Amino acid sequence: MLGRTLAESFSTLRVQCRAGASTSQRCMASVARPESVIPVAQPVLLDLTPPLKQFKDQPRAAGNVVALDPTVFNHPIRRDILHLCVIHHLDGLRQGTASTKTRGEVRGSGAKIRPQKGTGKARLGDGQSPMLYGGGVAFGPKPRDFSTKLPRKVIQMGMRVALSAKVKERRLGVMTQLDWPCAKTKFLNQKINELGLRKTLFITGEDNVAIGLARAINMLKSVSATTVDKVNVYELMQWERVVLDVKAVEYFERTLGKSVPIAPLPLVAEAVESTSPEVVA
Amino acid sequence: MSSRVRVSLANLAPARGASHNQKRVGRGQGSGYGGTSGRGHKGQKARSGSSLRAGFEGGQTPITKLFPKRGFINQNQKTWGVVNLERIQHWINQGRLSSSPENPITARELLASGCIHNAHDGVKILGDNATELKTPIYVVASRASKSAIEAIEAAGGKVVCKYYNELALRDCLKGRTDRVSAAPTRREDIVWYGLWRNRGFMAPKTLKELGDLPFVEERWKALSQSLNVWRKQHYIDLKK
Repeated sequence: MLGRTLAESFSTLRVQCRAGASTSQRCMASVARPESVIPVAQPVLLDLTPPLKQFKDQPRAAGNVVALDPTVFNHPIRRDILHLCVIHHLDGLRQGTASTKTRGEVRGSGAKIRPQKGTGKARLGDGQSPMLYGGGVAFGPKPRDFSTKLPRKVIQMGMRVALSAKVKERRLGVMTQLDWPCAKTKFLNQKINELGLRKTLFITGEDNVAIGLARAINMLKSVSATTVDKVNVYELMQWERVVLDVKAVEYFERTLGKSVPIAPLPLVAEAVESTSPEVVA
Repeated sequence: MSSRVRVSLANLAPARGASHNQKRVGRGQGSGYGGTSGRGHKGQKARSGSSLRAGFEGGQTPITKLFPKRGFINQNQKTWGVVNLERIQHWINQGRLSSSPENPITARELLASGCIHNAHDGVKILGDNATELKTPIYVVASRASKSAIEAIEAAGGKVVCKYYNELALRDCLKGRTDRVSAAPTRREDIVWYGLWRNRGFMAPKTLKELGDLPFVEERWKALSQSLNVWRKQHYIDLKK
């Protein structure tokens, strides 16, 4: 199995599912229970990205790996679904305020411009006819709603495909926590350049982006931070890189995951002896 | 479908065949819909804002008016999901259906095993090729034909006809046991399900013959007592 080969190659490998007790239950829920079911889905193992700021209680990124739900992060790539989601999003952004006046709305009298017969020219009624210069527009645009509907499950699949595409292209990272306590933009910019995380969208699973990070990142054009409930497929496609925190991973797995039996991760000797709160599925 | 090129906003496209160009009339001969825009030449149908109402035949009496109305539609009519005994026997032989006094054959088992495709207003057991039925089966259906009843009992089985209204049938098909199914309210149903010759679930003789079988419900006895009161009631002759 994949986990075992990784364990052989890294001597200090500790397989970490997610931090926190509640997640261990979620881990267990994804494991195949009945003996007759043979799990075929393997979890996706991703190296942890070094955090913006290392906190004492958070595990180190070096040598640690996060196990991701394959139904969310290893979904088959469906460009047509992404296309649907992107078009739906952009339709909704349209202002729809183009407006023209019809022949009934153009200012002018209804009097006949010239007699019906005798002038030798074409017959004409009022001066606002679309045939005439200064007349109304025939079938011109009117303010309307361009938004379209897309089934909720298609959008959910789009999210799964977008996240899986990012994982496949090695443009998705997971940090243990997203925070910048000193709130200084200059140092955040330096740190981002050091980590090579320009053109990145940071997605946090908290209710709000940490205030320090929010303030520091505000003026930086090449990066952005947002919360999980505000993310959509279009944003994921726009940004070159995406970095999630562990809570965001949990959120996506909870809302987008399918209840499919997933192969359990193998027990690693170091993991049993270590003190940090990792759980092996 | 893996690709070496990164998936980005620049290379998304709809699935092949998913989108089709809009038909735009009156935009030149090359499109095939130029000029008269698919309306032909002159006439009422070529004019803007014109259309004939559906079924209009130019003044000739339309087909919907030629023939007189006839009859009425019986709102109480039921469509039965019918199944013959030979089909049930065939299913039992294949191992797709089984019955026991604890788990009788009901509409749910018949639908789930594919013996019937749709339960409609209830299941009726019919007796085509009834001689094929060799095994004793325990059946609870909405109705059963006379020959079906004879054949089932000749083979050593039991058949009971139970009243199912819409909700009760749905609960039976879904396997819901938390609700109590309603008793019959219409006089026709009360009379029908109280007769032994139909093997109605409220007929006293049916309940006596079934005795202690596990699928017999307590409620049937209670309903049998309360809904068969009319059989003993008589009009009081005031003249005497």
